[in-house]
Amino acid sequence: MSLIEMRNITKVYPNGVAANQTVDFSIDRGEIHALVGENGAGKSTLMKILYGLEQPTSGEIYLDEKAVQIDSPHHAIDLGIGMVHQNFMLVPSFTIAQNVVLGREPRSGMSRFVDTQEAIRITESLAANYSLDVDATATVESAPVGMRQRVEILKTLYRGADLLILDEPTAVLTPQETDDLFDAVRRLVDQGKTVIFITHKLIEVKEISQRVTVMRHGKVMGRVRTADVSEEDIARMMVGRDVFLQIDKPPQQRGPALAQIQNLGYVSETGQPMLRNVTLDVYAGEVLGIAGVEGNGQTELAEVLSGLKQATTGNILVEGQSIVAADARGVRRAGVGHIPEDRLTNGVALEADIADNLVVDRYYRPPFTNGGRLSPRRIRTEATALIAEFDIRAAGDDSPLGSLSGGNMQKVIVARELSADPKLLIAAQPTRGVDIGASEFVRGQLVQQRNEGKAVLLISADLAEVMSLSDRIAVMYKGEIVAIFSNSREGGNPALTEQELGLYMLGLKRQETLP
Amino acid sequence: MMRTSFWSELVRIGAVVSVALGIGFLITCFVSEEPVAAFRELLTGPFPKISFADGFQVKGMNRFGDWIAESITLVLLGLAIAIVFRARQFSLGADGQLLLGALAAGIVSLFVDASIWIHIPLALVAAMIAGFLWGLIPGLLKAYIGVDEIVSTLMLNVIALQLYQLLLTQWLRDPTAGFVGTENFPVTAVLPVIVPKTRITIALFLALLAVVAIWFLLTRTPLGYEIRIVGANLRFAEYGGINTKWVIAVSMALSGALAGLTGAYLAMGLLKKLTLNLSPGIGFEGIVVALLARNRPFGVLIAGLFYGYLRTGAQIMERSSDVTREVVMVIQAVIILLITAERLFPLFQEWRKRRSDALIVTDLAGGEGA
Repeated sequence: MSLIEMRNITKVYPNGVAANQTVDFSIDRGEIHALVGENGAGKSTLMKILYGLEQPTSGEIYLDEKAVQIDSPHHAIDLGIGMVHQNFMLVPSFTIAQNVVLGREPRSGMSRFVDTQEAIRITESLAANYSLDVDATATVESAPVGMRQRVEILKTLYRGADLLILDEPTAVLTPQETDDLFDAVRRLVDQGKTVIFITHKLIEVKEISQRVTVMRHGKVMGRVRTADVSEEDIARMMVGRDVFLQIDKPPQQRGPALAQIQNLGYVSETGQPMLRNVTLDVYAGEVLGIAGVEGNGQTELAEVLSGLKQATTGNILVEGQSIVAADARGVRRAGVGHIPEDRLTNGVALEADIADNLVVDRYYRPPFTNGGRLSPRRIRTEATALIAEFDIRAAGDDSPLGSLSGGNMQKVIVARELSADPKLLIAAQPTRGVDIGASEFVRGQLVQQRNEGKAVLLISADLAEVMSLSDRIAVMYKGEIVAIFSNSREGGNPALTEQELGLYMLGLKRQETLP
Repeated sequence: MMRTSFWSELVRIGAVVSVALGIGFLITCFVSEEPVAAFRELLTGPFPKISFADGFQVKGMNRFGDWIAESITLVLLGLAIAIVFRARQFSLGADGQLLLGALAAGIVSLFVDASIWIHIPLALVAAMIAGFLWGLIPGLLKAYIGVDEIVSTLMLNVIALQLYQLLLTQWLRDPTAGFVGTENFPVTAVLPVIVPKTRITIALFLALLAVVAIWFLLTRTPLGYEIRIVGANLRFAEYGGINTKWVIAVSMALSGALAGLTGAYLAMGLLKKLTLNLSPGIGFEGIVVALLARNRPFGVLIAGLFYGYLRTGAQIMERSSDVTREVVMVIQAVIILLITAERLFPLFQEWRKRRSDALIVTDLAGGEGA
């Protein structure tokens, strides 16, 4: 018997976008149901409708075979539907217990003051019931990411949720934390809860779910038993064509050390040492992957290398030339390209048009500027060529960049950085929040750079990505390089698994001497 | 696409202006014995009257001239503010830059002896340099040591005003005059009138030239590109290798140069001398014009003409009807408020979206009263 059934759901936004078209979706009581689809496929719209954040244009929702109108999140919570958002909605300075009971605080007697002890007791008993280990008296800001997520889950359970919608819950977790989460989800189901699991990662679909619903372009492409299909099958349903999950990499032709990072140190403005004594060589013709839990200095490494921040100590050489004192333009002139981690902050200007975004590194040079005069015509010619070459889906080169999808924005950045023909490319989280099609494209471009004898420094929180693209993998922990592994298939390193890397990422292991 | 958005925008502005004028008329009805006549002065006052009663005659050319003369001031100031706004900086310093520009122009006018072909350009350039330097100070302070430009430009206004008045009273004033002011500038330093019986001078060409020059700067030079990108996203500009500090400083200095030029125009075109109160508070009107024009140079031209018309009409209404100056200013302010509010509408929508997002967070937290 299905717990929830959504029939013929259509959602057309006022701007005319049909986010859902006659979608049928149903979940059985006690199952873990994966919902997958590319960005913009309509899965979050569907879940917003179920959670009462959006109203369907047409269609019905049945809960236990009774028709319901879910007109607000309050109503959804009353009906036992809870949602854990991708971006945690917690108060950082409050304790975990305070966050769990927030808005429905237990009151002590007549005074009506919040009963702090009772809140802690509630949190601890909930945590024990569902084996979701949290420290009820710690503040959220001091808790690791995995624990914050458990707090979110506890919050929905405290409100009486029977159905939990988890929106891309593993995006921010390490492999170990992901395993813990999966264990917790299975225990929830053992205790009679039902879980909808929204994700991008097909390996997780296979691991955790009993059934999977695949969406594309606002429609359901299929609902299947997970055991009956392969990852490739699911990917094909999502994208509508064959997808190569395994990147085809020819054997490595490794050249000389193209970039040398020597004893690099960086102390943040607040006095925190973010990089300690980082020494790395990046060779021509290799992808060097940097693995690590986010916040262990990867961001700073990319920013120091690209000239956005000045190193406190150490040196950076590109083809023997020091760039450690250069500003962003100097670093670019030395042949370094940079796909920035925070796309919207650093990588693009949303208000500017696409053409202006594509020439930010070269507008001052001929043919764009001649004799002090800027040529909008030449900029547009360049933009038109790049839009065609990199298959950027846009209304035109003069439409504002903000009108593009996340994947196409990333293509604009990749188009700009690669067309500058860099010797060293720093790619920070190059596929984060990017749909499968564009991710595949970006990864292919990185490997192409390597095949052409360029050096690529890949910084990614997605371990599967690091492992499938990199020729070598360095692990960062608290601003240091704690291990470097060879990852070439012909070199052979069967011992290198995600679990093994995870131990180094968490600081539980480190190599005594780096190779 | 550009075309449809242009027309729909025109319709929207038209609607807002109608509503604003309607409210203005309503206020007039409350305070005037003859509201229709009074309001007609506001609406049609600045236009010359053509009459055939006594043969073909054009009357009220001086009013028309006042409109154009006022609009020149507003266009130049609007351009000054539009440049800083494009770089997403703020400046309240036009008043001070304008005073020092007038001061520089006045000194050159009074103490240099040259033919008109040299004298006028020399005075204008001196005014622009003075404004440029006075604008560069807050620009450098903001860019390199992070001094808030709103505070620094306001403070520099005070300094400029005191400096102006000090020099005027101690050194430049004409001791034979009954008020604090210089003697009249020599004819070689007064902007020639191009339409007889009006105050329309060659500054009209200057203002048009400035519009084209700023358009050219913003769209056809690398510096203009840098200003636009810095304004669109500062971090992106840094990432792309643009020297953002320098761009910020230069944008504020260029703004100062235009404000300085405005000062020269007031002194050499309208007053023909320096007086103690050159034109108090006019610097802030540039902000209104830039806002109305969405910081686009040709938009500034149209907005300057519109706002100039409104201001001139208001003055005429005040002079020739029973509506008092204060009420006229209220009407004018209501109209501008509504129109700029329309400009602020997208910001309002953004605010509402943020607010509803915040409500979702509250919803998730449960809420006792639910």
